Amino acid sequence: MVTFKKRMLATTAIALGLLAASTAQAFEVGVIGFQFSAETHARVANAAAAAAKAKGWSVTVLNSEGALPKHAEQFDALIAKKVDAIIVAMGKPIEADAQFKAAKDKGIPVITVQSGSSPHALFDIQSNEYKVGAEAALYLFGQMGYQGNMVSARFDLNAASRIRGKILEQVLSENQAVKELGKFSMARTQSWRDDVRAGMQALLLQNQGKINGIWASFDGQAYIIDDLLKAQGVKKGQIPLVSIDGGPESYRRIADPDSTFLATVTIPFEEMGVMAIDAIDSIVVKKQPKSSITSGPYLFTDAVLVDKNNVQKYLK
Amino acid sequence: MKSFIERYGTAVAGLALILFFVIFAPNFATPANLLNVLKDTSFLAIMALGFALALTIAELDLSIAEVASLGAVVAGWMIHKQFDPLLAVVAALAVTASLGGFNGFCVTKLRVPSLIATLGTAAIARGLAFMLTQGVAFVGRWPTNFTGLARGTSFGIPHLVMWMAVATAFAYVLVKWTRTGAHMTATGESDEAARLSGIATARMKRIGLFLSGLFAGITAVLLAANLSSASPNMAGDYFLYAIAAVLLGMTMFEPGKPNIPGTVFAALVLKVLGNGLVLLGAHYYVQDIVLGVIIIGSVAFSASVLKKAAFKV
Repeated sequence: MVTFKKRMLATTAIALGLLAASTAQAFEVGVIGFQFSAETHARVANAAAAAAKAKGWSVTVLNSEGALPKHAEQFDALIAKKVDAIIVAMGKPIEADAQFKAAKDKGIPVITVQSGSSPHALFDIQSNEYKVGAEAALYLFGQMGYQGNMVSARFDLNAASRIRGKILEQVLSENQAVKELGKFSMARTQSWRDDVRAGMQALLLQNQGKINGIWASFDGQAYIIDDLLKAQGVKKGQIPLVSIDGGPESYRRIADPDSTFLATVTIPFEEMGVMAIDAIDSIVVKKQPKSSITSGPYLFTDAVLVDKNNVQKYLK
Repeated sequence: MKSFIERYGTAVAGLALILFFVIFAPNFATPANLLNVLKDTSFLAIMALGFALALTIAELDLSIAEVASLGAVVAGWMIHKQFDPLLAVVAALAVTASLGGFNGFCVTKLRVPSLIATLGTAAIARGLAFMLTQGVAFVGRWPTNFTGLARGTSFGIPHLVMWMAVATAFAYVLVKWTRTGAHMTATGESDEAARLSGIATARMKRIGLFLSGLFAGITAVLLAANLSSASPNMAGDYFLYAIAAVLLGMTMFEPGKPNIPGTVFAALVLKVLGNGLVLLGAHYYVQDIVLGVIIIGSVAFSASVLKKAAFKV
């Protein structure tokens, strides 16, 4: 046992020594993603990290694993580390208000991505969820001929998905020939796939033969719904399925004739990560005013609707 | 020498790790950072102490994180509904302690192994937390007499550190200096022998699991107060770390036994490790890998005790 302990100690010391030796003294940026098990969070964080490295900066990527206490702790650690800037992907500025304020007080600029605004952050880069929600809803209704019945899968715990759902309701209220037969909102962030499967299965059973369209608040939900519909023998276009987010899997399904997934509104997550780094470069390194990037609390990016007409371009 | 290493080897390694970060991790030794590490340790240490008390009577409480999340949600809901903060705290502690008591009832009266009983309780607590919140967190500018429980300071000492000290002292005195503690330890070491010598082993098990729930409740209140929010899975992240802290603690001071100083020191080491690695610029997955190595190493060391608790029926 003594030998085992000695070996463990030696191995740990060597590993940590290597880590310490590799600590760069360059411009340093910390990137926090709220939950990397959600692909979009990781896409933003990884793109930001790659862009920072391309500039020769040192970067620390942290995953809060969906836990608020960990989110706050990681913020504290980056502030203690005295990084030159912090980027937060899909963070929680309200819950971590004290940490955002502490960063501001220490003069560390924070840029958030798809997180909502904070008085203590420079700005939030987002895709204008109001516009994105409207585009997805209107596309779905167009496919339904602006009449018939639809069901929806929501995620009200997440600000972006919640906005999309609220906009769907607005579009519904102006198009009264389309009726929402049922909806469910997934709640659990870790076993959400089970929630979506169970929730949609119940809606499909309750409304068998009456559903003309399905709206999902993000593509991850749409994949599960697509698999359920395929298992029931539904063909592409029979029950239009529309969602939001984009990504290789979404494009593959949109192009796949056996999939029921019809269209997505593609949010440029990687581009957002790069934009955050470029903004840090402009404001912190090149000392340009924040107003040269954006004047308000948001910096909006364009989202593109991808369906069978343009999916080949995205598949490349 | 061998005995010293067996008893204090891990603790010395922990101290060496702290020293390593003091020397090599930029800004690790700044007062602000050390205070942050201590504050972060408090949540983990208090929850881990509960788990250690359950393990002292050779029972596993796998519901601690879910019970703590429910406690936070109960407190958050009451604060949100503008109940008196004191009432919110009492309600949260009552709920979590009751669930701990329920675990004890299942184990001693219904003869359900704690591994299964506490998993069931975890599911119930999770369901109740989602029922109360509907999946949406309670967030807001909460009264300072509630948030001050975690964010405040007295005599320059952060309240979180004080709560950790109080919880540690309580657990230590209970286990080491009271008859109940001695009976709990005897029950954990050999249930049958303790029973034959006249100890009310079932009662000791109920006390251990009750305290585990209570400590989860204290963690819950402090978490909610510190973050001014409560969500149904907010303590979930502490589950693995709390177990790791207890197991790592079992490799020092009283090797092979769940013990209070070892648990608290191990919680500190785990938090130092997380903080130090961030300061060294290590990515998140490095921390996970290191944690995994620590868990395996500590379980390998204290496997017999854990197996005894996990697989007895």
